[in-house]
Amino acid sequence: MHIRLALAAPDLIVLERHRDLEGRRSEAWIRRAILLVLFAALVAALANLFGQRASDAARSAPSAELEIRAPTVVRGGLLYQARFRISARQELKKATLVLDRGWLEGLTINTVEPAPLGEASRNGDLALELGHVPAGQQYVLYLQYQVNPTSIGRRHQTTTLLDGDRVIVAMPRSLTVFP
Amino acid sequence: MDIVVRAGVAFLFLLLLTRIVGRRELSSMEPFDLILLVVIGDLIQQGVTQSDYSLTGAMLVGATFAVLTVAVSYLGFRVKPLRRVLEGEPLVLIEDGKPIEQNIHRERLTLEEVAAEARGQQIARLEDVRWAILETNGSISFIPKS
Repeated sequence: MHIRLALAAPDLIVLERHRDLEGRRSEAWIRRAILLVLFAALVAALANLFGQRASDAARSAPSAELEIRAPTVVRGGLLYQARFRISARQELKKATLVLDRGWLEGLTINTVEPAPLGEASRNGDLALELGHVPAGQQYVLYLQYQVNPTSIGRRHQTTTLLDGDRVIVAMPRSLTVFP
Repeated sequence: MDIVVRAGVAFLFLLLLTRIVGRRELSSMEPFDLILLVVIGDLIQQGVTQSDYSLTGAMLVGATFAVLTVAVSYLGFRVKPLRRVLEGEPLVLIEDGKPIEQNIHRERLTLEEVAAEARGQQIARLEDVRWAILETNGSISFIPKS
């Protein structure tokens, strides 16, 4: 018959808790659960949930097609590019691209290429006058951005293509900025 | 204002990370761990200060970390259940020369690592150990049989 002699535990060591883990069984599972949450966040990041992979969006009208390639999710401080491609099916005499203020608020525009013929505020939005686009030709506009570090949240980025005052196509879009 | 919030979030995130990574990983610094620690510090710093190069910003971040460090320490001191969460609790690894496998594995330790720690404290055989206890700071205390 084996008799286990109880050793005196060191001071402040409670054997039930520090050896037998009474009341501490859940600790390991809590730790694993938190690790799982972190892992899920990494998987979400790989799936572009936190940006900044660019995505394409296009909208057509009988006279022209507007295609935008830009990220819809970015993070503070990141540099990125937005590309606007206008494919004219019919001649556009005075093509104008109107960018919703969501394309500007909290963002720094480093470059606009090619430089528009003119710029104006149109009811608070930015109107870029692109000029004449012959039928069958494309006009590609590049905007290089940097996200201001203090920007955060979701904003609308509607883009409207006009010929003079005539709306050809409008494309709703949004941008989410993570801190 | 936002720099203080970012510093607070970074502080709490680091606190969470250090608690879930485990005690041993943080106390036993291999060269790679040391480099990793420096890199993590740099990554966190960029997220906190971002493009703020000002002395005011640096002082605000430093002050936020200092206040939160004292606050966490004070909470741990005053509230015992919270102390367990913030600092962890000791864990008995060996009793009367017999390793407690369940507890050793729980901290992702091997018997070889425990034996190496014992040798570092001039104990040649684990059977000569009365108590081996993984402390909250990640070190292992050995109490030899008299």
